[in-house]
Amino acid sequence: MRNVLRLSITLTLVAIISASLLTYVHGVTAPIIAERQEREYRQALELFFPEFENFETERLDDDYFDLIYDRSGNLIGIMGTIQQQGYDGYITYNLAVNGNGEILGLLIISHSETPGIGDVITNDSFKKQFIGKSFADPIAAGVDVDVISGATVSTSAIINSVRRVVGVIAENFFGQEADVIDITAVPDGTYQGSAPGLAGPITVAVEVAGGMIVSIEVLEHSETPTYFIEAYPLIPEMIIAEQHFDIDTKTGATESARGIVDAVRAALSAALEDKGGGE
Amino acid sequence: MKTANPYLQDLTKGIVKENPVFVVMLGMCPVLGVTAYIVNGFGMGLAATAVLIASNLVVSLLRNYIPPQVRIPCFIVIIATFVTIIEMVLKAFQPVLYEALGVFVPLIVVNCVILGRAEAFASKKPVLRSLLDGVGVGIGFTLALVILATVREIIGHGTILGPDPESAIYLFGANFEPMALFAQPSGAFIALGLLLAVVNVIFKRFNIK
Repeated sequence: MRNVLRLSITLTLVAIISASLLTYVHGVTAPIIAERQEREYRQALELFFPEFENFETERLDDDYFDLIYDRSGNLIGIMGTIQQQGYDGYITYNLAVNGNGEILGLLIISHSETPGIGDVITNDSFKKQFIGKSFADPIAAGVDVDVISGATVSTSAIINSVRRVVGVIAENFFGQEADVIDITAVPDGTYQGSAPGLAGPITVAVEVAGGMIVSIEVLEHSETPTYFIEAYPLIPEMIIAEQHFDIDTKTGATESARGIVDAVRAALSAALEDKGGGE
Repeated sequence: MKTANPYLQDLTKGIVKENPVFVVMLGMCPVLGVTAYIVNGFGMGLAATAVLIASNLVVSLLRNYIPPQVRIPCFIVIIATFVTIIEMVLKAFQPVLYEALGVFVPLIVVNCVILGRAEAFASKKPVLRSLLDGVGVGIGFTLALVILATVREIIGHGTILGPDPESAIYLFGANFEPMALFAQPSGAFIALGLLLAVVNVIFKRFNIK
């Protein structure tokens, strides 16, 4: 009994001393770390918005957006801090957008893409192609921006993410409506579309009959199966029930759910474009 | 070794004869993970050395007070405390190095070099000898990391003292296409294997055992 007491007292003492030491060091270093991070962030802001005076932060889902104001309080732009799944772990980057929703630049903060291959996302020649693009542009691989061969996953992750974020910014801060798809205008038939999920593209086949979505089938995906069952077939059922895309994707597999919604949207907007082109 | 001075031996054996990387082959995870650049390898070596010296010191000081049944948890807590302190200090004062070392800083906690010295040496020997042992093994670990990182940086990046463009020296001119394999962990295995072969040849030649 005395032995047990001695063992636990020793462990407790070691833990208490350790905890108090850590608390002290944390107290000393935390303000330095915070100050340095803020200074670095302000430098990044000044790079894109030389006339910025202050900013306020807004959080939408997992993305942070800083609304940048100049000396006289005008909104001069938005800086998004985004985390995106790359080829190997998360890529964190800043996206600067001016008051017209046009991209000013892209700043990769941290990534763990393969050295010599996926790290081309930090190259100026890759980042430069986004400058000046806005929500009105397609920002799609092979259309107005290019993936870099050999690093397709890393570069298309950034491209898709930038497209999504520009859309989110336009929708939330500049009052732009997201692409409204008129399902009733889609001719009967089955359409395929794909969009990025968490781990790769999700391809769906959407069947439309009489101006209604009647079935949605996922043809291809590389999501984690244990998570994917949270999104499928639940999300297609919700879309079919509600007949629009503004559904709650907050499931256990938010990214996969969003991927399915985007894929269905892509399939139908392609169907509408084809029809428009044919007439 | 002619000298019988145990203190000198404690200090030197970790550098060559019992080099933690080239001879004992402990703590290979950071060795392979962070040695793409000399600066990172050196920084990792210094961080691990600091933790090693501090933990050896404290473990040796407490060796008569810690009951043997709970010694491992105590060692781990002591090591983890120093690692966390190092992590916070790096984050505050060396942010670039902290970013480059990434997850390997917290992983120093489970670096078997450090736990190994605590268990095999510091928990049995007096304070001064444990301290010298920590310094020696730390130097050996840092030396090994720097040697491996030098090989990998030259072959894998074509530079010395990168990646910071201000200090980087481009050995082969700017148009040189480096062998990117050596910049990756898989290349680290190859470089380490080659280095071990060289070290073994040298040891055999000079009869170091």
